[in-house]
Amino acid sequence: MSKKVLVVDDEEVIRKFLRIHLAKLGYGVTEAADGEQAIEQLGKDDFDLIICDIMMPKKSGWEVIKEVKLNPKTKSIPLIVLTAKIEDSDMFKGYDLGVNYYMTKPFTKAQLLYGLRLMFDEVPEEVRV
Amino acid sequence: MDDQDRKKVILTLRWTAIIVTSYLILFGRGRVTDLHLSHILIAVYILSNILLTFLPKTLFSNLKFFYPLVLFDTGIVSFGMHLSEKMTTDFYLVFFLIIIFASVSRNFKLLMVIGGITALLYGFLLYSWGLLSIEQGSSYILRIPFIFIMTAFYGYIVQTLTKEKRQELTLSEGKYRGLFENANDGIILLRDSPLQIADVNREVEKATGYAKKELFRKEIFDLFEPGESEKVRNYFKEVIEKGEGRADCLSLMRKDGSSLEVDLSTKRIDLGDESFYQMIFRDLTEQRKLEKRIRESKRNLEAIFDGIRDQLSIQAPDYQILRVNRAVVENYKSSFRELIGRKCYEVYFQRPLPCEKCPVSVTIETKQPATSIIKIPEGTTTLQIFSYPILDEKGDLASVIEYIKDITEEQRLQEQLIQSEKLAGIGILTSGVTHEINNPLSGIIGMAEIALEEDDLSKNKDYLKDILNCAQRITEIVKGLKSYSRAAKKEDQCPLDLNEVVEESLKMVRLAIKPPSVEVIKKFQTLGKIQANMGEIQQVFTNLITNAFQAMDGNGGKLILSTRSFKDLVEVKVIDHGMGIPPKYLSQIFDPFFTTKKLGEGTGLGLNIVYRIVTKYEGTIDVESKEQVGTTFTIKFPIRRVEA
Repeated sequence: MSKKVLVVDDEEVIRKFLRIHLAKLGYGVTEAADGEQAIEQLGKDDFDLIICDIMMPKKSGWEVIKEVKLNPKTKSIPLIVLTAKIEDSDMFKGYDLGVNYYMTKPFTKAQLLYGLRLMFDEVPEEVRV
Repeated sequence: MDDQDRKKVILTLRWTAIIVTSYLILFGRGRVTDLHLSHILIAVYILSNILLTFLPKTLFSNLKFFYPLVLFDTGIVSFGMHLSEKMTTDFYLVFFLIIIFASVSRNFKLLMVIGGITALLYGFLLYSWGLLSIEQGSSYILRIPFIFIMTAFYGYIVQTLTKEKRQELTLSEGKYRGLFENANDGIILLRDSPLQIADVNREVEKATGYAKKELFRKEIFDLFEPGESEKVRNYFKEVIEKGEGRADCLSLMRKDGSSLEVDLSTKRIDLGDESFYQMIFRDLTEQRKLEKRIRESKRNLEAIFDGIRDQLSIQAPDYQILRVNRAVVENYKSSFRELIGRKCYEVYFQRPLPCEKCPVSVTIETKQPATSIIKIPEGTTTLQIFSYPILDEKGDLASVIEYIKDITEEQRLQEQLIQSEKLAGIGILTSGVTHEINNPLSGIIGMAEIALEEDDLSKNKDYLKDILNCAQRITEIVKGLKSYSRAAKKEDQCPLDLNEVVEESLKMVRLAIKPPSVEVIKKFQTLGKIQANMGEIQQVFTNLITNAFQAMDGNGGKLILSTRSFKDLVEVKVIDHGMGIPPKYLSQIFDPFFTTKKLGEGTGLGLNIVYRIVTKYEGTIDVESKEQVGTTFTIKFPIRRVEA
């Protein structure tokens, strides 16, 4: 059974290319356009990975992460942060909250694959650059 | 005795004398030499007394009238005695004896006793000679009451005169005693050689602590401090030589041993063959203390005056420099002497006339403090000049204090502050822009990578559309940045339409921070232009709009930006429906470094910079705020009529 990934970002184009990439790699993708939708999706389904933006309307990425980590049902789901916040302080804040991989925008497919490999211990051949 | 009584007594006595004398002439005569003359004499005597009754009573107190009268009476009586022919040498003797008695006598009663004894003695002599019992005995008997009455007459006259003299003396003595005793200065009367104290006034007792009795016969040198004895001896030596002398700052020794600093003045007074020295001294202790205090406070004031590192000078109402502090002297590399007396505008600004914006002129005219900022044309110095009036007792302007403060550095720092706040703004903008650009940039990269792997042209077309879309978004952002940097770069002032500036600022803020879901309402009217630096005015509105957005974070609401023009002003209102400002902070919000944000989140300079920039262009800024309702900032700038 394919692994399920929740992609949370308010930017449609980013969700779009992530969806294409992840689908090609064989993951099942669910999208959320803001923090509230993300929490809603998490309640509906079980996920193997969350890829989450930070600066979003309604509920920020930080709040989503906190809720995920507080919920016993979701707290062990690996988390990749995908953000334009490039300051070190933000990165440390992310790791402190329990983020597994902090990825800054803009990013390439190679970076995404590296993150996925870290999460799932799968080493796709083509990523080794 | 008043003048009326005096006149009465004199007239009565004279009548008695007239009767007795006439009696003596008319009845006592044996061989009258000239009867005719006798009658004339009596008539003259009587007439004189009748005349006297008509004379004003005040005349009887006048010695110039009184003495001749007495002389006249003595003459008449003597002449009458001569005419009666019976008068022998012994009677003349008795008569003059009476006059002598009366002259020397000091006591009227005693004189009358003496007169009585003389009369009795003379009567007894006449009797023993057997003259009373002879044929013309009556003329001898008459002599006895005559003696008595004459004694009374002269006695009374002399008595009255001496009494008056004495009264006058007592009176004048009392007068001078009063002057002496009540003088504010100490007065010591000294006997000559040795210089012993004869009398002192009350002030001496008060000042020295000695009683008058204790001072009597004391040598004057004993009254001075032993340490000063040589000085004192020299002083008195000089006084004795010259008859007078002054000395400053000698110390007397009080009874309790403490010292009393005095100024001395001594003068010799000759009273008959005895001479005295009158020594007057003034207690200087209080005066010296006061002088010392005045000198001290003067020194302090001078030290403060000189210690102030800004330039201070005091000018007369005709701009003449009366006083300057050290900072002025140092600044003009001059000396106090060279500066004082010259006109301030000549010295400070090398001008032939007072400066145009001079606050001193304002103070001279209005008697009110004034201030202005003067930029020295050649060079970069900016001076702020304050002037304060010094009024005299009548409230007229006596002089003006001019306080010149070099604010070049202060202004430079202020410019720097505005600049650095601008940089901080750029920092916020940069991070905001980074986010804004990074999203489409991620889109471009991501879609391009997918397109590279995709062979299906129709799918690729879709991807390329996304890429183009993202690139266009980036273009828009870059455009906005360009206008901001253009504004920030421009140093000079130009005519500005505030509507455009507010619009630009709103765009910038939207770029810099992710605006909450807020409805922005613009109510713009056509405006007159103001003359200002674009970057600075944009800074004002980006700061205010940013604050407004932050105040409404997460709670929705409306941001209203309204502009209007009236009279010579343009007005911009920035209205938010945010959390509002607590009343206790309202007075502080424009203070530098005042912030309610957490450490690191705000500098506390934003509104301070807004305030500085607005006032720099002679504008005003007002704030109204209600907690949980919202805040309104109202900014007004004067319109600059730009010549076509």
